[in-house]
Amino acid sequence: MADEPVQPKKSHRERNSGRKAEKKKKKKGNKDEELTDKQRNPKAFAFNSAIRAERRFRRKQDIDTKKQHIPLVDRTPIEPPPILIAVVGPPKVGKTTLINNLIKLFTRSPLTDIKGPVTIVTGKKRRITLIECNNDINSMIDLAKVCDLALLLCDASFGFEMEIFEFLNICQVHGMPRIMGILTHLDMIKNSKTLKTTKKTLKHRFWTEVYPGAKLFYLSGIVHGEYLRNEIKNLGDRYEDLTNLELIRKNPKCDRNISLYGYIRGVPLKKESSIHIAGFGDLRIHDISYLPDPCPLPDEIKKRALVEKEKLVYAPFSGVGGIVYDKDAVYVELGGSHSHNKRNDEDEGDNIVSNLIDTKETLDVKMEHSELQLFTGGKKLTAKDFEEDNPIGTADGSKNLSEDEIDKNINDLKTEVNYKEEQIECDGRIRRKVIFNDDDDDEMSDNSSDDLENDSVDELEDDKIPELEKDNNVHMKIKNVLNELSSKEKNKRNLIIEPESRNGSDSENSSIESAESDSEDEDIKWKDNLAKKAQNAFLDRISCTENLMKMVYSVFDTKEKHVDKTSDHEDDIDELLTKKVTREQEKILLEKDNMDLVESSLMFPWNTATKDWTSEENKELIVNCFVTGKWKDSEDASELLRLDDAEDLDDMNSDLDGDFEDLETGEKHVSTKSDVNAASGEKRKRDEDEVDEEADREALAEKKRKLKEKFNSEYDNTDKNTYYDELKITAEKQAQLNKTVFENMPDDVRVQVEGFRPGMYVRIEFTNVPSEFITNFDPTYPLVLGSLNMGEENIGFVNVKIKKHRWYSKILKTKDPLIISLGWRRFQTIPLYSKLEDNLKFRYLKYTPEHLACNAHFWGPLTPQGTGFLALQTVDSNPEILKKQGFRIAATGSVQELDKSTQIMKKLKLVGALEVAKFEGARIKTVSGIRGQIKKAASKPEGCFRATFEDKILLSDIVFCRTWYKVDVPEFYNPVTTLLLPSDMKNRWKGVRTTGEIKRENDIRNDVNSDHLYLPIVRQEKPFRPLVIPAKLQNALPYRDKPKNNVKSSEKKKNIERVAVIKEPHEQKISSMMKMLKASYQHKQEKMKQETKRRLDKHRAEILAQEQSKERKIKQKKKEVMRKRSKAQLKQEKKSMS
Amino acid sequence: MTTAIQKGNTLHYKGSSFFKQRLILSVLSGKSVRITDIRTRDDIPGLREFEVSLIRLLDKVTNGTLIELNEAGTALYFQPGLLYGGKIDHVCSLQRGIGYYLEALLMLGFFCKQPLYATLQGVTSNNIDPSVDLLKTSMLQTLKKFVIDDEGLDIKICKRGLLPLGGGEIIFRCPVRTKLRPVQFSDSGMVKRIRGTAYALRVSPAMTNRMVEKAKGVLLNFIPDVYITTDQCKGKNAGKSPGFGIHLYAETTNGVIYSAEQVSNVVSNGEEPSIPEDLGTAVAQRLLYEIYLGGVTDSTSQALAILNIALGQKDVSKIVIGPLTEFAIGFLRNLREFFGITFKIEHYENEDDQGGTGGRKVLLTCVGIGYSNISKRTI
Repeated sequence: MADEPVQPKKSHRERNSGRKAEKKKKKKGNKDEELTDKQRNPKAFAFNSAIRAERRFRRKQDIDTKKQHIPLVDRTPIEPPPILIAVVGPPKVGKTTLINNLIKLFTRSPLTDIKGPVTIVTGKKRRITLIECNNDINSMIDLAKVCDLALLLCDASFGFEMEIFEFLNICQVHGMPRIMGILTHLDMIKNSKTLKTTKKTLKHRFWTEVYPGAKLFYLSGIVHGEYLRNEIKNLGDRYEDLTNLELIRKNPKCDRNISLYGYIRGVPLKKESSIHIAGFGDLRIHDISYLPDPCPLPDEIKKRALVEKEKLVYAPFSGVGGIVYDKDAVYVELGGSHSHNKRNDEDEGDNIVSNLIDTKETLDVKMEHSELQLFTGGKKLTAKDFEEDNPIGTADGSKNLSEDEIDKNINDLKTEVNYKEEQIECDGRIRRKVIFNDDDDDEMSDNSSDDLENDSVDELEDDKIPELEKDNNVHMKIKNVLNELSSKEKNKRNLIIEPESRNGSDSENSSIESAESDSEDEDIKWKDNLAKKAQNAFLDRISCTENLMKMVYSVFDTKEKHVDKTSDHEDDIDELLTKKVTREQEKILLEKDNMDLVESSLMFPWNTATKDWTSEENKELIVNCFVTGKWKDSEDASELLRLDDAEDLDDMNSDLDGDFEDLETGEKHVSTKSDVNAASGEKRKRDEDEVDEEADREALAEKKRKLKEKFNSEYDNTDKNTYYDELKITAEKQAQLNKTVFENMPDDVRVQVEGFRPGMYVRIEFTNVPSEFITNFDPTYPLVLGSLNMGEENIGFVNVKIKKHRWYSKILKTKDPLIISLGWRRFQTIPLYSKLEDNLKFRYLKYTPEHLACNAHFWGPLTPQGTGFLALQTVDSNPEILKKQGFRIAATGSVQELDKSTQIMKKLKLVGALEVAKFEGARIKTVSGIRGQIKKAASKPEGCFRATFEDKILLSDIVFCRTWYKVDVPEFYNPVTTLLLPSDMKNRWKGVRTTGEIKRENDIRNDVNSDHLYLPIVRQEKPFRPLVIPAKLQNALPYRDKPKNNVKSSEKKKNIERVAVIKEPHEQKISSMMKMLKASYQHKQEKMKQETKRRLDKHRAEILAQEQSKERKIKQKKKEVMRKRSKAQLKQEKKSMS
Repeated sequence: MTTAIQKGNTLHYKGSSFFKQRLILSVLSGKSVRITDIRTRDDIPGLREFEVSLIRLLDKVTNGTLIELNEAGTALYFQPGLLYGGKIDHVCSLQRGIGYYLEALLMLGFFCKQPLYATLQGVTSNNIDPSVDLLKTSMLQTLKKFVIDDEGLDIKICKRGLLPLGGGEIIFRCPVRTKLRPVQFSDSGMVKRIRGTAYALRVSPAMTNRMVEKAKGVLLNFIPDVYITTDQCKGKNAGKSPGFGIHLYAETTNGVIYSAEQVSNVVSNGEEPSIPEDLGTAVAQRLLYEIYLGGVTDSTSQALAILNIALGQKDVSKIVIGPLTEFAIGFLRNLREFFGITFKIEHYENEDDQGGTGGRKVLLTCVGIGYSNISKRTI
């Protein structure tokens, strides 16, 4: 049967007609109408309670307001810096492999040896910088502060390690970057079920730590030392942007004067700001300049995908990076893979590289550490391929090149480039380095005349240079350059002065420019005489000076630069000294005039005379400043009315073209029309008029339209414009303004006004850097340069809110050194813990509370309030110590207040005699709360004093004097300078040890202070005075409460002293006899008692035995009876049976 | 003016020019200042009494300030502490007006730890300093533009006092603010009313009326809405020296205030006695001159406005002011040295300008440095 083919059942066919179909249709039709609940059941939504309505409204508002955040101004740059991706994880988890694979994915050219950051272009508008974070908590902290995205690697076969959680906690404190987790070594888990569960548990643990749904990737295994391509791709495609703070990468240049290179991130960097290098210390920027991007985004975005060629790599420490141009040198990477030079400007690159290869044999100078090669020397290249005329120089080892080659090169040289020489000593070998005197000096010479003159001077001077150089006389050369410099300066100064003096205002005593031209001897006192002249001069200056920025700033630039330049060569050149001296004298003289001016914010003193503003021509100048004058067109009421009328007229005219008729205006219109038709001779003239009219009308219409738009926009928005919307709009406007306002400025001026914007590739120069910084440089340690805000380079007392980390095993002790990461800095300091009492007093705490936040004060860098920080007890990653420590982050918190003094009070317990005179005026208090004050120490018994109280106190009252002792915070601040340590010691930084550690190491034990031991508390009993009821009161008392006499008498009896009775001998005999008799009687009685007891016991036992035997007998009898009975029964049954 | 030489975190200057500016900026920026060669070529070398008084005042407002003066008073080292604020009493030097000191407090007040309540005693008006009336009207008005909530910002004139003996007293109250907001002001509006005060201290009350009459005579040529009150101070409120003066201010439709004032000559110093009528005319003329210069701040409060936009958030601020005064130029230069901030300064081109609206204006554009009050306590 089963083998038979199953016959298909007839399928159900819906009815299309008939009653059922109609019913269904009706049902469906109802649904289709899609009535809202309110429509379907309007009664349910009827308004019935004002209070509920109010509550509902309030609730809605609450919810809406909760959603709102204060709108922030969007500060993301137009061309952002590369996204910084930090690859973090415990050792041996596959960080390097991952980076290698990512690079290979994007660029198809694997790097062999990765040290330091690698920047790659991954998309048309996207670049990324990959940094590997080594297993040092210092690096982890530094990178957490700057990275935009952190890839957290975890060995799945092992599970999460402490480093992961430490890093996550660091991130939480220093601003959370985006975090993605990656599980590696999944192939080590063979069992598929365990694999699944591991993945799941790890995922959930990760989610609780980051946020539910955080991305976690799985990399299964390594094939030929690489991850599977597909898996890498998943990872690479995902990215989110987040702006963070500044980071700059580095290339070292030379001993002690270093320059660092890198992208600016976060907010614009000002030239004058201080910089903190994490792991090193604060530095002041000596010079900063922007450079062409070594890894630029592709120019054209027409193409859909990125061409292979444009996928650039820039990895300065890893053997790729090509050529970097600087303002005074060229750096060429010649590492293991210099063929990876992928710069777009091929010609130039080839040229230079070939040059280099030619000269390579002649010099075997390796730079200090990294794989960089720095060539300095004489030959130059022209800036033919550069848009901005950044002077470039390349290089050769100098001495080996023949002189004629030098000459040839110099002849090739175009004349703009002038340079001077600087000798740098590095590694005991003297090198000469060309520093180009680029045209920065001329930035203020905006006037065309200036430029012309300068150029001519340049040319003149430059013509001389080659000739001189043939002699190869260094001194002469320098002298020449300096001459030129000085002449240029002079020239410039003259030029600056000229326009001023041309205006005939030789009395511009207050302006610096004129002061230069004036003779020094002229005594100028602003206050005394020249007020009026000053006023005129002031006005003239205001009216004539075209370039105000130059007037305010530039003069100083020249001077400053000039001073710098001359001082640079102070040591080298003797010849120039005389010249320099005279110039300095000049300068001093002219400065002296301006040294002690009267300072007032007034333009000129009140009693100076002014113009007569009532005279007609003067009146004309200000008449429209008053509301009575002419208003602006957009504001003038009459103008607006006129416009309105015109509009109406227009409307009517247009109406008339249709079928409508209007009596008054219609007539006019018709007449003009007929006129035009009739008088054709006049037509042309008419046309012209009409054109004019037309134009007027258009202009009017345009104005009108604008006004209408404005009105409309204002009118329409009124209902929607809440306060929040307004805030949002202003923030948006501000962001727009920020982006657009400097758009058209030339970059060199723009960086002065705005600072170096994020996304720029810059070179920052520092002077006086300790040589350890260079000699111990390790590219695997990140180098983060953070700019400091105003006042942040100062040191003071920082008051922070601190909480011991719940995973840290110990509580923290006051005055134990802590390593704190706050702002950009990492430093060791000695905190003092305290608790803010209700009266806003900081009470000293010896230890941090176990699960509570408390305050801590320490001496450290002033950092704005609200900045988060974390504290460690040691950064030593010695495995011995690590093993003991477990979780390393000891505490976290945020800054509350900054000050230059602290008020931490310790509650003081004073025992023993005190000099009360010191406490005069102190507040005292009884236990019951009666307050008082110590008035004066009494002279006689020691320690006695007179005090007053607000109420009567008892003799038995204990009086307290609460005493507080101010505890000072130790002024100890020690930056963690890990970057200066040699690379094997970098993660072994050691600072101040705790006293405990020192004692443990030296095996010192404290003597026990006997006062500190706990002893049983012995309290004396207090003797109370008997209660005496006054007789009067006693009488008044009711009988119940009255003291009872008889009771008292019995008491009295007890207390009566008895009289000793001395007996007669006879009596004594009797009494002794009686005593004996009594005793014997008692003895007898006792004996009898015991005997009776024994007898009784015996008797009872007998009775019991008897009873038992009786019972036994009865039982037996019963038994027998029962047996007989049962036998009888059986017999009977048998009988009956049978 | 001399340029600074920076050594570490200290700026070195020579000479006493812009002394006040430098100290104020030093306090705000936290950078130390070393000033040498103070009036070395003068007959009386060294710091003057009024400058020492300023240093004292700054010491009172701050916590942890370190001041070192050499014996002759020609060299000063000033290491600023943190701004503290609170209640301050200060007797100002009579060489300069209270305005000289109060201007410094106006610049610092917002960034204190506690709200400032300062009582200053001294000369309320003289010829070389902005008077207290001016600070109360135009400078406070300027200051109010940079904070969202200006509650508690107030100057109260308790007593007036003139040279030579002073005896004036004012109370300045200033709230604490964390941040300043970026502003964009270009339109100053049109003058809609003119108000003012004429005061007479220890002289005939008729003086005030005489001044008012003349001032009105000039101003009524331009605008009918002129109202000048007279303040005849009596007893202690009139200070210690006789004299009289007048202060006028013009308010525009956009809330900008221009101020001008005149004060009588000090007869005891050998100057000729002033005639009230002359003062009345002069003050009106001076006010018209201020209106001619224009801008969204008074010419006296230019530096204050410049400071406040420089200290704003890291956003672009724009203001249009009248031609830069020497004080403002010095301030711009000093700002550059202390904060590294450079302003974009250009002439303001107004497209719908139809003439008669005063002199040429200056447009200042800058990106704030993102200064925040580091003294304030957060809970």
